[in-house]
Amino acid sequence: MTGRPPSASRVAIVALGAAATLLVAVGCGLAIGPTPIGLGRVVGALFAGVGLGHSTLSPLDATIVWQLRAPRMVLGLLVGAMLAVAGGTYQGVFRNPLADPYLLGVAAGAGLGATIAIIDVGGGLSTPAWTPALAFAGALGAVALTWAVGGRGAHAGPTTLILGGVAVAALLTSAQTYLQQQGSPTSIARVYIWLLGSLATASWSSVVLVLPYVVVCAGVCVVAGRALDVLSVGEDESRSLGLPVRRVRLVVVAASSLGTAAVVSVAGLIGFVGIIVPHLVRLLVGTSYRRILPISLVTGAAFLVLCDTVARTVLAPSELPLGVVTAVVGSPVFVVVLSMRRRVVA
Amino acid sequence: MSAVEVRGLGVRVGDATLLSDVELSVEPGTWCTIVGPNGAGKTTLVETVAGLRRPTRGTVTVGGCDIHSLTERRRALRLSLVAQHPVVPPGMSVADFVALGRTAHHGVLRAPNARDREAVAGVLDRLDLAALAPRDVATLSGGERQRAVLARALVQSTPVVVLDEPTAGLDLRHQVELLALLRREVSEGGLAVVATLHDLSLASQFADRLVLLDHGRVVLDDRPRDVLRSDELSRCYGLAFRVVDVDGTDIVVPVIPSVTPA
Repeated sequence: MTGRPPSASRVAIVALGAAATLLVAVGCGLAIGPTPIGLGRVVGALFAGVGLGHSTLSPLDATIVWQLRAPRMVLGLLVGAMLAVAGGTYQGVFRNPLADPYLLGVAAGAGLGATIAIIDVGGGLSTPAWTPALAFAGALGAVALTWAVGGRGAHAGPTTLILGGVAVAALLTSAQTYLQQQGSPTSIARVYIWLLGSLATASWSSVVLVLPYVVVCAGVCVVAGRALDVLSVGEDESRSLGLPVRRVRLVVVAASSLGTAAVVSVAGLIGFVGIIVPHLVRLLVGTSYRRILPISLVTGAAFLVLCDTVARTVLAPSELPLGVVTAVVGSPVFVVVLSMRRRVVA
Repeated sequence: MSAVEVRGLGVRVGDATLLSDVELSVEPGTWCTIVGPNGAGKTTLVETVAGLRRPTRGTVTVGGCDIHSLTERRRALRLSLVAQHPVVPPGMSVADFVALGRTAHHGVLRAPNARDREAVAGVLDRLDLAALAPRDVATLSGGERQRAVLARALVQSTPVVVLDEPTAGLDLRHQVELLALLRREVSEGGLAVVATLHDLSLASQFADRLVLLDHGRVVLDDRPRDVLRSDELSRCYGLAFRVVDVDGTDIVVPVIPSVTPA
């Protein structure tokens, strides 16, 4: 084994690679779809938008690019970035490699909220706006409940929080399953589609809705990278080094959970991104969260947009569930990187 | 003013009394080693002095401030800790690991400044770790690793260092090297040290005072040669000791009852 953490130049190369992948993903997100519109024409239209040259897009193509593909691509960037950063942050704050953004019950809470809206429990919830609103409320309610159960008191710590999350998730998932059984076949199908995640309903309004949450929450997590590095030596030693462990944990868990709740409310439960992307980045740049989190942000954004491009094109005009694509595309990539890393350190 | 003052310290967990009426005073530039059998309360005392555990009663003041009323950051500017089983995160360079000791100086949201980097480089040099600075700290040998942990504590630049069994798991040479490094910091740097050690011979050679703890109480607090020669030592450990003077150095030898093979 080399015995040395990755060098700064290696990290810079990985960061540049992530940025290049992001550019490719943006290009794919805008140019690829059932209606063929060349990347050159899309780029020309982009330049035309800032007063350089003329757009060659027809009005129909312009509508497809700017009203359908662009908001979907931007929403994919935001969702992927937030899930990857939240996953990396959870792995750092809980010092647990299996942690993902849904650890504290966000998924179960959002699922219950969305199911209540889709099944229209109690009536009056059938308008589309209720689904993200109740999913968001359910996600935050679940995390608040988890914190109340496992995050307070003299013996509160990462383990009690995780166990609290397990209990809350089990409770809310059972409630969600029960409610789902009460629905019509159509609404059950809609619940399943929501649970597997999708960007199909993306619009500029959903982008505007989610953007402030992602900017603030992902920003807080990235800034907390230095604190997570200190925390890697354990709770007691971190405290003796001057880290206010409980406050740091509260802030980063709140930021990751709020950001995750926001993106889940508009995109459903997209799995795999939050766990696989930070691990992929860790394999390439080492264990420092000051490196992992910003590069995961870029990589997660690119990864989800590329997966969404696959999801909406391979079976067009129908779509594959995004959560399925993230797993099918991400697993082989992860295995390849893992085996390359093993060869390097062997 | 004493560097560390412990007054009437008591720690209870449920029905168990872990510490009772502990009194301790450590001056700057002195080394106080706490000895005692397993379960005597040594680690509890160290954790309470370090501010990691709240006492049920009594106070711990460091530099005149109640350690338990300080924020983590202010506490880390007064006292540093070497834990019994330090966590060494894989993938972190020795330089970055040691630099964690400057967290309280630059703050958790700011990057280390030139002064922090200078402090880290100075300690790496002093502890002969400069050549290992780029290495992954998890790949170091036991002795090197303990030196890195000590370096992290020293780079905190606190007037007090608390160590819980810092030589655990080290061979004799590395134990002596580590304790000699620490002794130099005490004698030349005016550091106040509170440490726990199991090896009574080493404890007596490096410390200015030994505090014998048993069942959570201070039994003796005196010069090493007086503590080693007391009857209390044998009583607390439940074992007879003989102290042998080798060229002016006290060596503690347990008197082992003869075992006749069957």
